[in-house]
Order: sequence, then structure tokens, then C-alpha cells
Amino acid sequence: MSHHIAPTDRPLGVGILGAGPVTQAIHLPALARLRDVLEVRHIMDVDAAVASSVAARVGATSSSSMDELLGDPAVDIVAICSPHQFHADQVIAACRAGKKAVLCEKPFAMNAEEATRISAVSTETGVPIVVGAMHTFDPGWLAAEQNWGDLPETAHTIRSSIVLPPNARFEDFATEILTRPAAGRPDYSDSEVLKAALHGGIMGLAIHDLPLVRRFTPDFEHVDVLQARHVRPFGYAVSLRTPSRVIELRAVMNGTWKPEWTFEAIADDSALRIDFTPSYVQAGSAVATFTRNDGSETTSFGPFGHNGYEGEWRELAGLANGTRQAPPAQTLIDDLTFALAIAEATVESAALDHAAAADTAGVSA
Amino acid sequence: MSAHFTVHATPAAREAGAVTETVASLPATFGPMPAGHSGQADVRVVAGSSGWAAEAAGAMQAGARGIVVANPVPEDTSELAAAADAAGAVVVLDLRWAANPALVGEGSGADARGAVRSGLGSASLLDSVATAAPGTDPRQLLSDHFAALLAVAGRLDGVAILRLDTSGYTASGRLANGAPFTAQGVLTAARPAGVDIRLYTADGGVAVRVPDPDAAWPAEVRVTGPHGDLLLPTLYESAHRFAWRRLKEHLSAGTRPDDLAGFARLTDLYATLTAT
Ligand SMILES: NC(=O)c1ccc[n+]([C@@H]2O[C@H](COP(=O)([O-])OP(=O)(O)OC[C@H]3O[C@@H](n4cnc5c(N)ncnc54)[C@H](O)[C@@H]3O)[C@@H](O)[C@H]2O)c1
Repeated sequence: MSHHIAPTDRPLGVGILGAGPVTQAIHLPALARLRDVLEVRHIMDVDAAVASSVAARVGATSSSSMDELLGDPAVDIVAICSPHQFHADQVIAACRAGKKAVLCEKPFAMNAEEATRISAVSTETGVPIVVGAMHTFDPGWLAAEQNWGDLPETAHTIRSSIVLPPNARFEDFATEILTRPAAGRPDYSDSEVLKAALHGGIMGLAIHDLPLVRRFTPDFEHVDVLQARHVRPFGYAVSLRTPSRVIELRAVMNGTWKPEWTFEAIADDSALRIDFTPSYVQAGSAVATFTRNDGSETTSFGPFGHNGYEGEWRELAGLANGTRQAPPAQTLIDDLTFALAIAEATVESAALDHAAAADTAGVSA
Repeated sequence: MSAHFTVHATPAAREAGAVTETVASLPATFGPMPAGHSGQADVRVVAGSSGWAAEAAGAMQAGARGIVVANPVPEDTSELAAAADAAGAVVVLDLRWAANPALVGEGSGADARGAVRSGLGSASLLDSVATAAPGTDPRQLLSDHFAALLAVAGRLDGVAILRLDTSGYTASGRLANGAPFTAQGVLTAARPAGVDIRLYTADGGVAVRVPDPDAAWPAEVRVTGPHGDLLLPTLYESAHRFAWRRLKEHLSAGTRPDDLAGFARLTDLYATLTAT
């Protein structure tokens, strides 16, 4: 599944806004595998010390101002790896700066209004935007897409299940992390804290695979929440329904060493299961497996030698040098609208449960 | 040497419990009624469709010492239990998944119940998916599913069905420590029928996969912890055969199984679920 990337005389220049763990452990290692094509030239972080020390690792210029990075002519592609709340404005600024392509870490906006603004600017400037939903660039997913036939129309049940150790385990396999935010101890008896945790679970974790879920959900605009449960210490069990689909989302981030990240789409007589490799590490692609006839017929694709992070960068290089077509901005908007609708409905449903839990003893079996 | 115990099954029971091949795998213990023999068999097999408890009680009254119920549907068993106590008869339930030896094994051997129960204290989520062919009655699937869940988890609180339709169901509730559990039924012919049970704990968990009893393919029980991943010994014995082997042990030792007591919990749970 390796795509041909047209060689340019000189590698394309990359500039990165935000130099936290994701930049250090995900993007720099992925870019190091593509150094003939892409070169990190500029790293910006509001913390100047972080910016300069991360930049020094790759021999790039550093700064603590976004305008300085966007004004740097050596930067062709901008990656936005700052905290969520800055994404929308930074994407818009990068498009306006006339860069060749923009990568925005997920989520690319936190509300519909931001998404619409981004879409308008992308259309107006023609700058292609890629959202860092890495699984949509994973060669295992792309192979599934080539081979799934009518499964997106026939699947009735979709499951996304994410079991992960705390991020630090995989960050440390990927790089030597410079700084790490201090972990808090949230008080989940406070319903506001609980709601924030569920919202964060959907917009921070489930969001990776919601674009995949949406591909199998033609009526994604009509989603109802059947349940939204918080899982401790971090995770969720969310059950959704549209008129034609059942969608089950599970996530558990506990102290396990054993990651398991799966996506499933199940129809009456065929099913797809994709096993993704964990975040951060460059551990190759997902494996996609189709089954039929009570599981007696199995077809698998993968693993391929690179994962979706590298896939993202290959896509960006292709977009920047004009060998690939920009994805329609509407897809990104629809993905985001879908995620926001689920996050909001989840929080609402959890709030109702919280109120109901106080006076219901429940049935004991 | 001829078998110790003669067996009688109606055609429906024979089919539901794969009786012929299962009895043939315990040839020194069980055998058919000799040709021309007209008395009551030692062991009666009852198909578990609605009304099975009365049929089993009748067989006991007619003199059967052992009863095997193939795939029982939830129903009130209190009269049957009393009759079995009075007659000193052995009633064994041959449940699709719950009777698999990997879930609740013999003696002190490692099994899924032990693994799950030792993880329940630090449980963060129990997530389970049962799979069966399209056309399966989702309520029957739900009962097979909860029989397996109750066998390993022992207790489930606040259980509710969130949806139940032709593609399956979603049910949820709480574990003893308040952590959520979810049970999903999926009707598809793309995958083998079976049940998957995942318990996630503070530092690992338990993964159980139980196949249908129509072959002796083993269930898989994995316990994950700081030590790594431990695969419990695989048992190449179907739920059917394990039920019959338990019957043999109890008949030979003169002891009584607690199958009916365990099943009563399923019946109670099922009644609260289907009433809503
Ligand atoms: N794709 C993935 O697998 C994945 C995994 C985890 C996180 N993420 C996403 O990546 C992004 C970054 O994650 P992280 O864990 O590195 O976050 P972080 O918050 O730990 O680090 C972000 C960095 O950005 C800097 N920063 C703060 N405000 C800034 C601003 N206005 N402009 C530029 N830099 C600023 C901070 O000083 C920090 O160094 C988040 O949006 C997150 O959702 C993606």
C-alpha cells in the first residue's frame, strides 16, 4: 500500500505550532521516516524554552510567535499541534498565510461555528486541510475501503472499542519526552467534572474513529444516545442509534500494558474488523479482516509497514506538491458535526442519568 | 461392560442437546435403553422449550434419577427444585454457553469465574458481545447471554434493556463496585456464534470467548495483568459433554448440583427485564 510520492528537488518545509508530546512523540518520529520528502524547518511553542529545545533536536528554527512561523518562507506545510481551543484560529491563520497545506491535530474545531469559518477560509484560499484523524490514513483502513464492497450500505452494527494504557507508556517508546503536563485527579462525584470527562472522551478519544463510524452510517444526521456511561479512571460506554444503525463506543484507559484498538462493521452476512496499532509508536499499519459464512471464510489485509501518522504526512506532501486532490472540506465539516452531536447528546444523557441515579436503587440479580 | 445408566430422550430433546453423540462419548456410563425394554430410563433428557420444568418434574415422578435439560428457556423452577429435593434426583442444565467447562470448571481448577471474580474489585468496565445467526429470537439470545454473564460475574445490578430488535439488543447495568457493564447481542451469519466477555480492571483484565457447543472447540480465557497474558488451560470439551459428565459425577457420588438455584437468578432477572 505504499503510495508513490513524487520527488521534488528539495524536500518540502514543515512548520509546527505547539511542541508538546504529540509533536515530540508522533510527528517528529513520523517525519524522520520521510526525510527525503519533508523537512522540519520551524517549530513554535508559546513556551520558548520548549520550542527551542524541540527545534534543536531536528535542526529547525524556533520561535514563540505564530506570526513568525507563518511568515517564514521556508515553511510550506503547517502542522497545528497546540491544545484544542487554539486549533480553529491557527488553521485559519495558516490558510491566510498562503501555505501549501495544513495539518490540524484532531479535533479541528470545538463547535459548528468554528467549523463553518474554517470551511469558508479553506474554500476562499484553496489551501487544503488535513485533520489528524490518523486512522483514516492508515493503509489497513485504506485496504479495507478498497475491498469492503457494499458493507457501508448493509452494515447494521458498528463498534469502536479502544483499550489503552496511559499515553506516557507509548510516548516513551517513541521518543525522549521533554515535558509532560501534570496529571490531575478529577473528582467524578461532581457532575460537571463528569460531563467534562465524557465530552473530552468523545472529542479527544472517540473522535479518532468517528470518521470511520460515519462512513458506515448513511443517516448520521439522526443519532440518538441510548446510554452514556463514564468509565473510570478514564473512558466511556456509549450506545447510539440512528434509524438504520446501532453504534457502540467503548473506551478504557487503565494501567494495562495491553492496547487493543478495534473498529467493527457488521452486516447480516459479512463483517469487517480492523485492529489498529497503538497511538504514538510507529508500529506499522492496522490489520483489516473480513469474515463471512460463520467466520469460516476470512480475508485479511495488512499489516503494512507504516501507520496512519506517516500516512497523514504522505498525504500532506502529495497535496503540497499537487500530486493529490484535496479532500472536500464538507467531509471534515460532516465528521466534526457528527462528533459534536454525539459529544453534546452524550453529556446531556449523562446529566439525566446522574440525576436519576440518586433516587433509583436498580434491580439486583 | 454395559452402561450404568440408561438414557431416554424425545426426538426434540435429542436434537436440542446433541444427545446421541454426547452420550456416545461417555459409553461406560450412559447408554440407550436396551431394545424391547419398556420401563423408565434412569436418565431423561428434556428439551428446554417453554414448559420444560413441568415435564422434568413429571419424568422425576415417573422414576428418572437424572434429568438433563437441553437449552432451557427462563421459567419458574421452584416446584421442580422441590420435587428434585424430595426425590433426591439430579437435574443438570445443559446451557448453550454457561455450561462450558471454561466458565465454571470442576473443583479448584482455574476458570473464567475465578478470574473474573478476582478482578471485580478493581473493575472499570465489563463489556460483552453475544453473536448468533440472523433469525435467532433475540430474547432467547439474551437469556443465553445473561446465563453466561451471571455464571462468571455472579451478580449484576440495575439491569435494563436499551433496545431489542431484529439486529440484536443492547443491555446495561452495574457491577458490584458500581462500574458499568454492557451486554450487546449481534445477529449475523458473518461470524461464528458465541459469546465474548471482557472485564477491564485497573491493571489488565480478563477476556473470555465461548463458542457454541456443537463441536469441542475450546473456549479461551485470558487473564491480563502485570505478569503478561495468561491463557488458562484449553478444555476440548463441549458444554453438552461437560453437562453430562457433571451428571455422571453426581449420580455416582450421590451428590446434588446447584444448577436450578443458579438458573433461578437468571429467571428472576429475565422477568424484570422483559416486564419493562
Ligand atoms: N493524533 C493523536 O494520536 C493524538 C494523540 C494525543 C493528542 N492529540 C492532539 O494533539 C494536540 C496536542 O496534544 P499534546 O498532548 O501535545 O498537547 P499538550 O497540551 O500537552 O501540548 C501542547 C503544546 O502546545 C503549547 N501551546 C499552548 N498554547 C499554544 C498556542 N496558542 N500556540 C502554540 N502552542 C501552544 C504548549 O506549551 C504545549 O507545549 C491536541 O489537540 C490533541 O488533541 C492527537
